[in-house]
Amino acid sequence: MSQSVRITVDGVEVQVEPGATVLTAATTAGIAVPTLCHEARVDPMGSCRMCLVEIEGQRRLQPSCAFPASDGMVVHTDSGRVRRHRRVLLSMYLADHELDEDGLPKERGTGNRLRQHVLEHGTGPTLPPIAADRSYREDDNPYVHFDPEACILCNLCVRYCDEVEAVSAITLANRGSHTTIATADQRSLLDTSCELCGGCIAVCPTGAMTERPALGLDWRREEKIRTTCNFCGVGCQLDLHVADDRIVRITSPEPGRTVNDGNLCVKGRFAYEFVHHDDRLTTPLIRGGDGELRPASWPEALAAAAAGLLGVKERHGADALGFVSSSRCTGEENYLVQKLARAAFGTNNCHQCAAT
Amino acid sequence: MTNSIPEIRDTDLMFVIGSNTTEAHPIIAMEMKRAVRRGARLIVADPRAIWLSEIADLHLQLKPGTDVALLLAMSHVIIAEDLVDHAFIDTHTEDFGAVVEASRDATPQWAETITGVAADDIRTAARWYATTERAGIYYTLGITEHTHGTDNVYGLANLVLMTGHLGRHAAGMNPLRGQNNVQGANDAGASPVFYPGYQRVTDPEARARFEDAWGVSLPPEEGLNLNVMMKEMARGRIKGLYVVGEDLVLSEPNATEVERGLNQCEFVVLQDIFLNETARFADVILPAACFAEKDGVFTNSDRRVQRVRRAVSPPGEARADWEILCDLARAVGYPMPDYASPAEIYAEMAALSDKFSGISHARIDAEGGLQWPCPTPDHPGTPTLHGDGPIRGKGVFQAIAYRPSDELPDEDYPLLLSTGRTLYHYNAGTQTRRASGPMSKQRGNFIEMHRRDAKIRGLSDGDRVRVSSRRGEIEAIVWISPRMRRGCVWMPLHFPESPTNLLTNDAGDKITGTGEYKVCAVTLSPVEGPGLEAEAPAAC
Repeated sequence: MSQSVRITVDGVEVQVEPGATVLTAATTAGIAVPTLCHEARVDPMGSCRMCLVEIEGQRRLQPSCAFPASDGMVVHTDSGRVRRHRRVLLSMYLADHELDEDGLPKERGTGNRLRQHVLEHGTGPTLPPIAADRSYREDDNPYVHFDPEACILCNLCVRYCDEVEAVSAITLANRGSHTTIATADQRSLLDTSCELCGGCIAVCPTGAMTERPALGLDWRREEKIRTTCNFCGVGCQLDLHVADDRIVRITSPEPGRTVNDGNLCVKGRFAYEFVHHDDRLTTPLIRGGDGELRPASWPEALAAAAAGLLGVKERHGADALGFVSSSRCTGEENYLVQKLARAAFGTNNCHQCAAT
Repeated sequence: MTNSIPEIRDTDLMFVIGSNTTEAHPIIAMEMKRAVRRGARLIVADPRAIWLSEIADLHLQLKPGTDVALLLAMSHVIIAEDLVDHAFIDTHTEDFGAVVEASRDATPQWAETITGVAADDIRTAARWYATTERAGIYYTLGITEHTHGTDNVYGLANLVLMTGHLGRHAAGMNPLRGQNNVQGANDAGASPVFYPGYQRVTDPEARARFEDAWGVSLPPEEGLNLNVMMKEMARGRIKGLYVVGEDLVLSEPNATEVERGLNQCEFVVLQDIFLNETARFADVILPAACFAEKDGVFTNSDRRVQRVRRAVSPPGEARADWEILCDLARAVGYPMPDYASPAEIYAEMAALSDKFSGISHARIDAEGGLQWPCPTPDHPGTPTLHGDGPIRGKGVFQAIAYRPSDELPDEDYPLLLSTGRTLYHYNAGTQTRRASGPMSKQRGNFIEMHRRDAKIRGLSDGDRVRVSSRRGEIEAIVWISPRMRRGCVWMPLHFPESPTNLLTNDAGDKITGTGEYKVCAVTLSPVEGPGLEAEAPAAC
């Protein structure tokens, strides 16, 4: 049936599946090609020109993310021509990008790959800055912040929104140097088909799309802790970003590694405000003789709970007790609830909302 | 799920029934969208024109509660046209004759009169499903939350067995679990009939194993399921309740009866992260840590045991549920072991059940999530169940017959109400109602309805309306929507100030006790005063 394709990248010969791209072949050969607009979950677009490589027999440099590998192909990813191209390209990006005091692309969100590329590959001639009006609408959505001055128009956010989340809430708008990412009629994302999944933030290479609640935070101070989402039954893996004992941001592990393949929904990515909410219960409560709840110490509350439950058991038997466990709690905790019901109290009246 | 979530991208046909996947399981829906983009066929059976139906090849917009008729007719077509997998039936199943008999008269024309779905569409769906090699069924509470929920599941299982869509990559029978750890809670034995690992409490051998491990004698009779527990509370036979992390008042059907029962309880302990509606009835409330503040495991829909890790400290004096449970056990005189961490609790459970005995925190930390069955420490886990035919003996076909839902519309209550979940909120809303994004998308309760049902009652989009059933009444905002069938209305369950479960029917399925959340009869009356435009949901 299908025969594999043999291709040489920087002197390394590799075999790839028919239809694989030159970029895939390079990755297979262990060679890193810089990219900006590439993302495995969406179709290649080849718009950022960062991944251009030299292919023998081709007059021009070609985008490795979109160019199919063919048998016998010889590719150079780090020739003088390719290096020269990268430096000029990065100069052009710098001319159209907000820079910090060091003359490097400003950092936002969880890092800026354009900045990394500049540091790694250098730049060419300094070009005059492009001053174009791309003023962004005021958007009152609480989660997604867009800064047009950091956008390189790779269109990855739009493609993710179209192809993966498939709600097509955002689009490229305007022409030439005025081009930017927008919604229909410049509406707030809340008034579009947007479902606030935040996928645009996750795929953005420069941090032009960022989490509004985390604006201005220094991502280098954040510690990442891998865990499982506490909402529906998909079991998405989350990285909780923690600073000063608070969750400040939630991201997905990289695509291809976990069941959610880099994707999250509005609840998983953003609905963590409850964790640090003022309404959280912070102390045990006991209802007094006047019917009011009053704070109590742990020993008091545990003694009251034990006495109350044992009282019911003594008066009416163990089967007059019911234990409602929780499918929101961990497996270990569910194990302990049923052990408590069965071993400590002697009843099988133990269930949880799996019945509903 | 018999199969795994990542397999969906390889499937050639998805039969999605009773699952509004884009809202209730958005990340699984992304896999389905990916499969459709790749060219897979999609059949959606749902009374509403849900988002997925817009990209479906076929939408079977059946009347709520008529699933059995639809599934019987599909079986009828598959048998009549001899599209069954004879080899699979002969090798792996029993009692096929019972289904042949039960579906003999269930012609598509007959089903059309009951379901409202065109006979030709039923035939097409049956043919596509039976003749596609990689065809998977995906369902959730739209199948189970009926008085005939078990029959619905049997009906689906019959389709799977007669076409041999089992033990095969990207096929199978796939219930999508509604909550993070429904699977894990059942696995761990939070069940009136099962010890951990689905060992029956009535099995003397299993009981002896747990008596030995826990050092006590254990009750031999099955306990009460949650639905029955709530009813026995009202009858005065359940006198004390220990509730961990559930808002019974907002979550159980027929909330008035639940409240009456809670009022009669002599003693109620509640262990939760927020005060909820059930807290009004509690004598002692214990503050618990949330998922980000403790260690443990959740088990997802495809049986994948994954780690939960402590990232931040619990607020104030709140403590992890496992610590509270251990202390309470000791306070009532049971010597709960001195576990140093949930890893040790998991090890105790794994040692008592073959299904998980190869799983440990250390392995998950090193390898990522593991799918049970996983009997030994070197077992890789089981992405696809029944790889060599049904796991235990043979798959038994179950004869089913259509019967109407418990409470159907009549003159006094002319509209059929179904309930469910939306994308932006989660169950009782304690978490998402404190989140700014979900609240800016959906502020309050609404009733989704067909424009002509609204028009004949003089109602417009955004009007406030009183919704009444035989069990209670609440107010909500009218949302006129092209997704609805005429005569049917739909409401979410997330809003404590307008608790939809005051309306729902607590008649339960005979086997599981699951309440009939998906079908009850209601009537509408206008309410004076302004409708809140801000409360109308954004189109979704």
